[in-house]
Amino acid sequence: MAYSVNISVEAPIENQIQEITYDGQEIYQAPLTLSENLAKIAQKIDFTKTINGDDVKKEQSDSSEKSEDDTKDPAAFQSSLWPWDSVRSKLRNALTEVCVLADVLAIAKEKRYMVLDPVPQEAAEVKQIVQIYARKKALAGAASVLMMGAERLRNCQNELARNRSTPDFHIELLRLRQNWRLKKVSNSIIGDLSYRTAGSKYTQTGMFEVTKAEEEEKASTSPPASPNPNATVASGQSHGSSNTKASALRVTIPSELQGVAYIEVLCQKDQEDLCSANISLLNSSANSSNADMHWQQKLEAAQNVLFCKELFSQLAREAVHLRAPIPHMVVGNQIMATVLPGIQLIIGLCHSTGNDKKPSAPPPHKSDHDHVLEHSLHQLLREVHHKNTHHPFPHPSSGPLGPSKRRCLAGPTAADRYELIEMTKSQTLLEQIIQQAQHFFMRLRTEYVLDTIAKEVKDPLIVSHWNALNSPTQSCVKINILTHGYDIVCRTSLVVHVGEKSLKCVCRDGRVMHMSYEPQELRDLIFCQIYQHQITAVQALAKCMGWQFLANSSHLGLGAVEPLGNASSCILASPIGDRMIAVRCEPQTGVQVAIAHSPRKDFFPGQLVRERKWENLGGSFKEVRWDKMEGKNFVNKMELLMASLTSS
Amino acid sequence: MGVTVLQQFPMTENRTGPQTIEFLTKRIVALGAVQTGQFLVDCETYMSVPQLGVQKTVHVLHNSEQPASVFAVLESGSKVVPLIADGLFDLLMLKMTSIYTSKKQTKIESKGPRFEIGDFCVKLGSVTMSQNFKGVLVEVEYRPCVVPGSAWDLMREFLQGFIGSVVPNQAPQYLQNRMNDIYQPMDTIQQYLEHFGQYRKTTGVI
Repeated sequence: MAYSVNISVEAPIENQIQEITYDGQEIYQAPLTLSENLAKIAQKIDFTKTINGDDVKKEQSDSSEKSEDDTKDPAAFQSSLWPWDSVRSKLRNALTEVCVLADVLAIAKEKRYMVLDPVPQEAAEVKQIVQIYARKKALAGAASVLMMGAERLRNCQNELARNRSTPDFHIELLRLRQNWRLKKVSNSIIGDLSYRTAGSKYTQTGMFEVTKAEEEEKASTSPPASPNPNATVASGQSHGSSNTKASALRVTIPSELQGVAYIEVLCQKDQEDLCSANISLLNSSANSSNADMHWQQKLEAAQNVLFCKELFSQLAREAVHLRAPIPHMVVGNQIMATVLPGIQLIIGLCHSTGNDKKPSAPPPHKSDHDHVLEHSLHQLLREVHHKNTHHPFPHPSSGPLGPSKRRCLAGPTAADRYELIEMTKSQTLLEQIIQQAQHFFMRLRTEYVLDTIAKEVKDPLIVSHWNALNSPTQSCVKINILTHGYDIVCRTSLVVHVGEKSLKCVCRDGRVMHMSYEPQELRDLIFCQIYQHQITAVQALAKCMGWQFLANSSHLGLGAVEPLGNASSCILASPIGDRMIAVRCEPQTGVQVAIAHSPRKDFFPGQLVRERKWENLGGSFKEVRWDKMEGKNFVNKMELLMASLTSS
Repeated sequence: MGVTVLQQFPMTENRTGPQTIEFLTKRIVALGAVQTGQFLVDCETYMSVPQLGVQKTVHVLHNSEQPASVFAVLESGSKVVPLIADGLFDLLMLKMTSIYTSKKQTKIESKGPRFEIGDFCVKLGSVTMSQNFKGVLVEVEYRPCVVPGSAWDLMREFLQGFIGSVVPNQAPQYLQNRMNDIYQPMDTIQQYLEHFGQYRKTTGVI
């Protein structure tokens, strides 16, 4: 391999050769960095050249730089050079100025043609007074800030020392924060007393502002931002008076929520009173509107005002929308609805702002304020609030909020349209309260009817038991009709369900009777039951006495026509069969008792009846003078009568 | 909710669909029925995309008698899975277009007047598939009873009374298998699906 020659292929030399060593190795210069390249290019700029010669120079520098950067496109390079131009011109200007300065200095140094001489400066006139005044003013400002701070600290100390009982503002604020919603908006503390978080959808806001009690006075003399020493003094003076207040905290409530409000519910019977119903405050709430109230009471009162307003606006809205046979009226702050014929329900919003004149003694109402219905109204709205926030579980996160559980399940259970329509029916607050009022009146009337009958009718006793378990629109009374001393022998019981506009009576034998709201219907029914009770009592007694029970008719077709019900009767025969008693009971005329003997003991043969045997057929009935009978009550008299007839 | 029977009413040459409906309306009104609005039962069929393997079919039906519900019947092979869901199921199907594609031209519906006559509820539906009239389908519901076996004879008599001898003496095959079960809303849907399938298979008017 002696002839073999090594051929090396290498990249063309791009960098300049620095030196060639003796063994032929070439040492290259390191390639220029960007800044070095810049410096190199900048060096090439001839600053001494004027603007006029620029074009030519530029061409030259261009060509030189072109060779440096190995760029082939002159146009592209030209454009990239232009930014340098401003640098160049600035440097050029700087150079010119430096040259001029150097020339001037050189000439001035010679002191032949030019001399540098200081220019006499006119001294500024210093006014001592002004300076002192300015300093004094600055010091006074600083002093007042310090003084004010010191004063406040001293006041605080004094207050604490003098009156330990006054609670601290921050402690009070903490207490407030525990019970009410507060937030800080820039420099003030704003609270919210609305029921929004509890599910209310009422639009009116319940904002209130919390301030420190002692700063209230200061704010009245000057805005709190300006540090005015006079104000501090004033606040210090007024501080003594504010000490009397128990609370270090003051709440400011918007004017529309101030004062006291409540919902008044009246039930009126008379038509002519409709327009003259004057709503005024109750006595108890008249004095509670002063400004010195504790914040807790103040906020509670304001919250109550807000609640009452929401309740009333809701009711008024419903009253306008509801279609009733007798339309509801909304006049001012009153809603009027007809409960039963002749009876109106009046719901009014009473709101007294604290600062108006002292309310005079309220005119006596014809019918009293109904506290129960007022409470029910509050309860109903609270229920609405509760429903707004408490959705039935489980509700899927993707599903819509709001529909009831039944409605949620209506799709998967394939509910038909009747069921769906039933689901959409919901009662408004006003409808519910009207129903409650109707039920209230129905209950009242039923009570009255039962009580008056119990007072009127002494013979069979009428005992009514009101069921303790009832609802606002449904209650139940059990009526027992029994005779004193004979309650084991016979007892008639019936149950009356009192609804909203109707009564349902269930008798012992399973008969169900529906009655309207007219109390007379119930009265008639009870009277019929009383006389039926008498007949059944006699029958039961006859069994005990060993008498035979011959005939019975609860609807007798004989005698005068009764205005209500029918007369009932029964015929009994003595154990031997020789005596008979006939009892006729009718609601209108009362009880008639007649007896017959057969055969009669004394027999006188006459023209028609010649033999004694005919007497066995039964003789004519003779009426017993019932009022002359011995005995405590009807059944007792019957017992005595039977006993005497049996023995004789 | 009672027992429902579907009956196809054969079309004759000389009457159009609306005329047939009018003809039947006159008959039922003459019997003393009262019209109570309109009704609509529609059916849309979705097919699974071939990439999923075995072809599955989902029929999505709505019945105006159960307005809050969506009925779906999934057919995969020999298995049939019925489902009742609420209205959100329609939106769910829209989300599943990558798996189940609907064939718009097979959307079929039966709509027409709804009558009530005593305990019966009669619906005269004209069946249209993508706007093409296919035939007349009469639905009769006997509302007081939920057991088909107990109600069939009465319903047959009623149906024969107002439609004629078209009505067979035997109960429809679907009901025959469930004569003693409690009738469910899904059973109505299954019957509709059967009839819709028949209408789809035929090209002309039945």
